[in-house]
Amino acid sequence: MKSIGELTDFYYNALYPSLKALEEQRKALAVKAYKIFALIALLALSGIAVRWYYFHALDLLSLMFVIAGAIGAAWSYRHIIQDYRTEFKMRIMKPLIEAIDDSLRYTPVATVSQSLFERSGLFQGRIDRFTGNDLVQGSIASVDLQFSDLHVESVTRDAKGNSHRSTIFQGLYIVAEFNKHFKSQTIILPDSAEKIFGNVLGSWLQSKSFGRDRLITLDNAAFEKAFVVYGNDPIESRYILTHTLMERLLNLKQSVGHNIYVSFVDANIHIAIAYNKDLFEPTVFQSLLNYDNAMSYIHALNLAVGIVEELKLNERLWSKE
Amino acid sequence: MPFLIAVGVIALILILMYNALIARKNQVDNIFAGVDAALKKRFDLIPNLIASVQEYMTHEKELLSNITKLRTEGLKPNLSDTEKMALDQQVTSALGTLMISVENYPDLKANENIINLQRTLNETESQIAAARRAYNQAVTDYNNIIEMFPTNYMASWMNLTRKEVFVIDEHERENINVKELFNAS
Repeated sequence: MKSIGELTDFYYNALYPSLKALEEQRKALAVKAYKIFALIALLALSGIAVRWYYFHALDLLSLMFVIAGAIGAAWSYRHIIQDYRTEFKMRIMKPLIEAIDDSLRYTPVATVSQSLFERSGLFQGRIDRFTGNDLVQGSIASVDLQFSDLHVESVTRDAKGNSHRSTIFQGLYIVAEFNKHFKSQTIILPDSAEKIFGNVLGSWLQSKSFGRDRLITLDNAAFEKAFVVYGNDPIESRYILTHTLMERLLNLKQSVGHNIYVSFVDANIHIAIAYNKDLFEPTVFQSLLNYDNAMSYIHALNLAVGIVEELKLNERLWSKE
Repeated sequence: MPFLIAVGVIALILILMYNALIARKNQVDNIFAGVDAALKKRFDLIPNLIASVQEYMTHEKELLSNITKLRTEGLKPNLSDTEKMALDQQVTSALGTLMISVENYPDLKANENIINLQRTLNETESQIAAARRAYNQAVTDYNNIIEMFPTNYMASWMNLTRKEVFVIDEHERENINVKELFNAS
């Protein structure tokens, strides 16, 4: 697997011709987008002005002009960047992913399956909308791995019958083969109860968590502070969560800087990183050659593929081949 | 009426306390059964391990016979939990010494059978370590509840006494890299 430095070199050297061509396309698109936004804003303002001029009213209809304008702008933006987005994924993301390891296969329009998401047991509640993109599958150091961007939502209806979407999870979802045999289920969640209510009340609330297995208290204070662990076999949960793995998960949490959810189910490790945004998307109003943008793609990819190395999933010290 | 309510509340509190104490006590027993199963698994591995190494390891006869002796002791019926815990420490240490000695025998180190045995033993040791940690947590919860007010009064009435935890070696906490230690692959 290539290092971040090597990938940065690859991005700016090997991908430079593609980046340059796409950068031209991006600039033209940005101008086009600004023009469309300006036109839509003008139309919406004209609507509001007409309404004011003839009816002296700033009412719901005026607000409708603004909402229609915003929807129109979002739709047009999506439509005009479609080709540029596809081209970016095929000319930049695909070679970048293949440069990390040639066993990796990239499918821009696919996701990790819903059944693999549900199997993790990390998120409760009914799923009404399951979307995502940028599926990467492959084998790193003989460890099967797949990850993709996911946006999982539920839909609720209020008393007036209006539907509201709420996000269950949005971010990077990784599934990898785990290097030990186990039959039980172990779920690690961010420890929000202890953070809000303190140690005593927080752990009491955690132990009463409905729909979860038994609370597992672990012998690592820092880990206990950062996470809450549920499992149906306290011995097997500790067999999986050795002191070393707890340290590695803490390091991972620190390096990611977002909430992480981890579960060990059905011989696999499932990791959900709540970035709360769609990753691996091209920028339109900033240069593709911008260092920060380039690093955001490289860091996210390196993190997902690097899970194998970071958590030492390739160590075959046990009887599992 | 208020008197009856007060009696009812006190009875409910006593029942809850009693049940909590029994739940903690049973939790310790259940997890010790898990420790026992893991220890038994390791004992089952020993004859095969000894048979595979003894023709090569001519200088460690005493160590090998000590491991066999410890196994025989460990498989005796009616051993108390404390005796099992003491034996576990001795077996862990003896097997650790044996595995380090394997390093001195290049033929043995490269033997496929030994490599497989080492991996299985390593897995069993990890399972035992996990069982010990789970047991220690269950014992800590149990010791806490029998010493805390007001459950301590009921615990002494029920003759519940403090239990000992497994001593976990510092090196075990650090989870030494066995692959490097044996340089097996």
